[in-house]
Amino acid sequence: MSRDAWGQEVLEGISWDLLPVAFAIGAIVIIGHAIYRLINKSRKA
Amino acid sequence: MTASATDRIERHKAVDRIFHWVAAASIIALLATGLLPVVGVKFPWVTIHWCAGIVLTIAVLVHLACSLTWRKLRCMWIRLRDLRGERAAKYTLAQKLMHHAMSLMTLIVIGTGLPMLARIDTPFWERDPYLLAASTWGVIYVLHGLASLMALTLVMIHVYFSLLPEKRVYLRAMWQGWMARSEVPADHDPDRWPGAPR
Repeated sequence: MSRDAWGQEVLEGISWDLLPVAFAIGAIVIIGHAIYRLINKSRKA
Repeated sequence: MTASATDRIERHKAVDRIFHWVAAASIIALLATGLLPVVGVKFPWVTIHWCAGIVLTIAVLVHLACSLTWRKLRCMWIRLRDLRGERAAKYTLAQKLMHHAMSLMTLIVIGTGLPMLARIDTPFWERDPYLLAASTWGVIYVLHGLASLMALTLVMIHVYFSLLPEKRVYLRAMWQGWMARSEVPADHDPDRWPGAPR
């Protein structure tokens, strides 16, 4: 958030603190699926 | 993998494959130029970013023009049979969901990115940062940022699945355009693919 020429609060953009969150969600899905595949494979073996 | 012509099922026409790889390259360029500076990798990113954005926009417009036919729309339509877990025709439920999610994020970044062109100097126009109100720019930047982060997550997941050994047949089909009938994964019914030889 910042202020415009009239002193009103305006949105500026997203917080880039969300970047690691987006990356982490992707990583969790990938790692979760990889573990699921591994478990399934060992069950079938 | 070689297969006789009668054993081949066309999966993606050349125009669709070209679109996919052009879109992929431009999206990776956009994510890299948009996000690497955020994490501290400093370089002159703006020109590459908006040029890649124009390439993506043109590619998406061409894809829309080619895909807005009843036959192609039917391929991507999510039906009750998809939700019931029945064998898919051309695209599985997961593939359809990935397509729809990525399409939505791409349309949002394009829709918000194009107005941003007004804020930069290019060989074709001078910048006008006052085109829209500050509050409107804020909404545009928030939507653009959120959609790009969601696109990052989707790209990570998409690339992971495309590299799995059991999904490699889809990656090859996106390159060569076809798969052999014997290769078709068990969760598809190739007799229900539009255009597949019966």
